[in-house]
Amino acid sequence: MNEIARFLKKSWVLYILLLTPVFYLFIPQSRSDTEYLADPAKYLLEYVGLSATILFVIVLMITPLRKIFPKSPIIKAFAFNRRQIGVSVFIYALLHLLIYFAYTGSWSGFVKDWEKLFILSGIVALVLLLVLATTSNNRSVRILGGKRWKRIHRLAYAIMFLLIYHQATQEKTGYRETAKIFAPLLLLQACRIGLHAKYTFDQRSKE
Amino acid sequence: MRILKKKSWELPESAVTSEQDFINRRRFLKAVGLGSGALLGQSIAHAATSGFPSPLNSAYKLEDLEPTPYDLIKGYNNFYEFTTDKGDVQKLANQGWQSEPWEIEIGGLVDKPMKLDVNDCISKVGGIEQRVYRMRCVEAWSMVIPWDGFQLSKLIDLVQPNAKAKYVKFTSFYDPKSAPGQKSGSIDWPYVEGLTIAEARNELTLLATGIYGKPIPNQNGAPIRLVVPWKYGFKGIKSISKIEFVSKPPLNTWKALQSREYGFYANVNPEVDHPRWSQASERVIGSGFFSSRKDTLMFNGYAEQVASLYEGLDLRRNF
Repeated sequence: MNEIARFLKKSWVLYILLLTPVFYLFIPQSRSDTEYLADPAKYLLEYVGLSATILFVIVLMITPLRKIFPKSPIIKAFAFNRRQIGVSVFIYALLHLLIYFAYTGSWSGFVKDWEKLFILSGIVALVLLLVLATTSNNRSVRILGGKRWKRIHRLAYAIMFLLIYHQATQEKTGYRETAKIFAPLLLLQACRIGLHAKYTFDQRSKE
Repeated sequence: MRILKKKSWELPESAVTSEQDFINRRRFLKAVGLGSGALLGQSIAHAATSGFPSPLNSAYKLEDLEPTPYDLIKGYNNFYEFTTDKGDVQKLANQGWQSEPWEIEIGGLVDKPMKLDVNDCISKVGGIEQRVYRMRCVEAWSMVIPWDGFQLSKLIDLVQPNAKAKYVKFTSFYDPKSAPGQKSGSIDWPYVEGLTIAEARNELTLLATGIYGKPIPNQNGAPIRLVVPWKYGFKGIKSISKIEFVSKPPLNTWKALQSREYGFYANVNPEVDHPRWSQASERVIGSGFFSSRKDTLMFNGYAEQVASLYEGLDLRRNF
């Protein structure tokens, strides 16, 4: 376990893991997918967006997992890299926006879409991600001070709700895909809240 | 909106497929049919529509239309009966689902109801012909498809609807054992669509039984489907098993599912947006990453033939 954790902490391992979605595109099978051939911009748009969302879900799963398994070295390794994973979410989300620009095909079409809540939710989420990404370095933590930094980075939960909306409104029937992506995260967050409630309850009964 | 020149689709007589080309093409198609027939373990002699010649109707071959490659037409499908994943329909629709033999029932408010094999139906209406139509999906993408089929009006003449018949209701198959998407409870299966009698009788309205001169692939709605080229693709109900003439507008599946987003008419209209995206332009399937968007035409470019059907109707409310 410790060996794996040490391996996961290495930055080159992290970068390879974060680039997995890009590597996957070079598998010939995914390139011969008729959805790719039919409309490559749409395919890449959805693919990159999904990659960003999944990485985002992973980032937000780290804290509850640490509370639930406080001793696991692997989760500690993920926590160690959490800010870098967070920055990669922003990079994929930005790429998603750039592809969306190509997908709409014109500046006027691109801007006109912003009035649709479905699109607006994504853009607001991206702006918030930008705030988090630019403050995800040691200097920012120092300048802002730990407490304030933490408060700002709670914006991640606002982003979570925006992304759930963004994902759910693009489904045509039901919310199965959205549930598949976000259920593990919501479940873990519920566990975390449960644990916290139990802890405060125990503290009070001790007094 | 583009103003169409009168009779823009008319081609000179010389452009019609010659008899010799036609015979050669049938020979080629037979070879292709044999290949796919053998693959499915079926004899081509029974493949629905395979025995029928399909001469091009030059009145419906618009000059500026470049047909979408066959592989994309049969590999990029919305057919929720199998899956919501467009790239996977081709595989799932060819794993045991039987689109032949296929009976089609025509009834309701008609004088001569009938229930017959789809091949007999083609014989009764006098065979099929090829027409090249634009196809515009409500999801803002488009294709150009050379359909083989017959004008629905021919079938209507055969069954003779009575004066009370105002609408036509189409119902697709229900077979959750071989159509895995039908196991999902999010849609009330089977798929239902509807047209007004006038729409159904319009010269453009087709019952298609083939694409590119070959029997229509399972994933495209074998063996018989509706094609209404001035409406969004979801109106083109696939794999029809029942056609009924009724007095009230039938509740079509997508309207039942999301009446705020999908209506009964579903006419292609660049001026009326879908609540979540613009309908002003469309992505042309198969034209690459960049520069593949073009302006959507009013009634998908068929205003000349159908605009009169909707005179006085508020298209913004009746979307």
